[in-house]
Amino acid sequence: MSEPVIVLDRLAKSFGETVAVSGLSLAISAGEIFGFLGVNGAGKTTTMRMLCGLMKPTAGEGAIAGQHIWKDRYRIRSKFGYVAQKFSLYPDLTVLENLRFFGGAYRVNGRTLEARVQTLLRQLDLEGKRAALAGSLSGGMRKMLALACALVHEPALLFLDEPTSGLDPVHRQQIWDLLYDLSSRGKTIFVTTHYMDEAERCTDVGFLHEGRLLARETPLGLKGHFRGRLLEIHVEPAMEGLVRLRGLPGVLGVALRSGRVRIYSADAEKLLVEWQARWPFPELRWIGHAWVAPDMEDVFKAYSQDYREILEPRRG
Amino acid sequence: MNPGSTIRSIASVARKEFLHILRDWRVLILIFTMPPAMTLLFGHAFEVTSISGASAILRDADGSPESRKLVERLRTDETFAWREWPVGSGSVDLLDAGVLMAATIPPGWGESLKNGDPQPLRLVLDGTDTNTAPQLEGAIQKSLGEFQLESRQDMIDRLPDEVFEMGRKLPESVRKEFTSSMSPWSVESEILYNPGLRFIDYVMPGIVGLILQLLTVTLMACTIARERESGTLFQLLVTPLRHNEIVVGKVLPYLVVSILLIAMTLATGHFYFHVAYRAPLLVSVLCLLFLLCSLGTGLLISAFCRTQAQAIQFTVFYLLPVFPLSGAFASLEQLPDSVRVISHAFPLTHFCHAFRLVSLGHAGLSSIVGELGFLLVGAIVTCAGAALLLRRIQD
Repeated sequence: MSEPVIVLDRLAKSFGETVAVSGLSLAISAGEIFGFLGVNGAGKTTTMRMLCGLMKPTAGEGAIAGQHIWKDRYRIRSKFGYVAQKFSLYPDLTVLENLRFFGGAYRVNGRTLEARVQTLLRQLDLEGKRAALAGSLSGGMRKMLALACALVHEPALLFLDEPTSGLDPVHRQQIWDLLYDLSSRGKTIFVTTHYMDEAERCTDVGFLHEGRLLARETPLGLKGHFRGRLLEIHVEPAMEGLVRLRGLPGVLGVALRSGRVRIYSADAEKLLVEWQARWPFPELRWIGHAWVAPDMEDVFKAYSQDYREILEPRRG
Repeated sequence: MNPGSTIRSIASVARKEFLHILRDWRVLILIFTMPPAMTLLFGHAFEVTSISGASAILRDADGSPESRKLVERLRTDETFAWREWPVGSGSVDLLDAGVLMAATIPPGWGESLKNGDPQPLRLVLDGTDTNTAPQLEGAIQKSLGEFQLESRQDMIDRLPDEVFEMGRKLPESVRKEFTSSMSPWSVESEILYNPGLRFIDYVMPGIVGLILQLLTVTLMACTIARERESGTLFQLLVTPLRHNEIVVGKVLPYLVVSILLIAMTLATGHFYFHVAYRAPLLVSVLCLLFLLCSLGTGLLISAFCRTQAQAIQFTVFYLLPVFPLSGAFASLEQLPDSVRVISHAFPLTHFCHAFRLVSLGHAGLSSIVGELGFLLVGAIVTCAGAALLLRRIQD
């Protein structure tokens, strides 16, 4: 592992009585694609704003490339790029004008800027749109332009706030291909996402719940936090089964996955033995069962719903 | 921070703001047609201060040679546009008749002028507009006075020779006193600073100031609020741009545009209304400081408000008292002292006062140092305040 790019030490932020983030300690190494997971309101955006120096931490320390995220906030701004979740470029300026403006704002000028703008337009597939107003671009194109604007000063670190939300699968793939490209060239990427299939693509993920970091692992390691496998039963009709099983004692939660009902329970074996002995729902037809490996979606659900009983205690 | 990079950063922001202005063609049209159009409109509106063509009724119930003479005189007065009205129709309802005044010469009026007990003319006036009624009454009073003077001259001309014989026997001092009291007393006035008493010369600074204040504050107030509303402000604040670079970069393009606007307004006044400006350098400095002060005010509102709608509402709230209380169209001396204190808080008040001192009063720099100082301090305080508010957004 190389030198960490981001180091957070018990970082905290409160708004009056409300605690948004507390005791957040984290180290992210160069070249990592770090996926920051959590439900809405978990504190992801607050953390990102503190990292960008837009918000003063209430307590704790944080550093990017060895510089303090608050005291040195003006100095570190040239070291990272930031892509907001919402489209935050100027819709009445053309693609080229937006790029040139942000270049100037990042103090990239003259021939260097022109060369970079040309490269970015080519790389991000925007060459044909250089004279188009940013407001007239499609959602995917807008995201590409936002990325280009965040890369115009060639930062070593990139913050992306839900970069693929609202995009179609083709553009999502395109964005991720680009992130892999950047990562392979040594850039560090800090990305928040709601999509669990995207979390799988990160080299590391952190799970934030109610302002606290509950886990920080590789996707594989995070899935390993599950105690054993998950029980999946095949009943018909499946939807009714989902509703019936949801409130049953001993069942923490259920999820429908490809027509099968996934059971989250600390005592799944016991439940299965009971059901095989006497199936309590005559209106539901029992067809079979299987033991499956948990995926990221299961991890997300277990962490966000606080299913402590089926998760290993957090290590470290 | 190296100065070259600061200048380039400011230039980036300024170029971007210029593009925003250029792309919004609807506002662009407004910006460039409003100043000359408003100058023409206000200029003509305030060109003449006295009333003319007020519709009124004149009824001669007397019909004597004297009353007919008075009617003839009143008919030539351009203050009134007389309406025919039947004589014997009782009292007149002004609103129904659509007139501002009804004048009646009572029966026996001509006779009463000779029998030692002159009867008054009867006037009914609409007092809704507090200015109109006294002016109309004054116009009648004036005509009546002239009529009386003329009649007196006629009477003297018609006096029999014996009267003059008798007069000659009076002591000289009594004779002189009599002659004095019979000749009209008058004033001889010399009007300084605006000898033609052209109201347009007086009101021009007010027009310039008002238009500029309106446009600059409104345009500027939207800039930061718009960025905040659309989310671009965060994108702007994560760049290494400093707050003062953003503020200066945003003010510059609007300053250039408003200088153009002020030139257009002054040019319209000069070429169309023949308003003369003196001490162009001093006036330019005055205009520049006033613009900076207005732009700063707009920027302050902008940095304070969350949305463009709020910014516009605040602007209107700020500008509303400025219109009647800044002395742009009427003199501050009409206002009570307590209100005048508020007037002095408005940049426009100082701008108008200083502009008139220079342009009409031929005053030099020393006479308007106070006003220039006020505007300079205002510009600095508002711009610095805006930069400070921007800093607070992110903290």
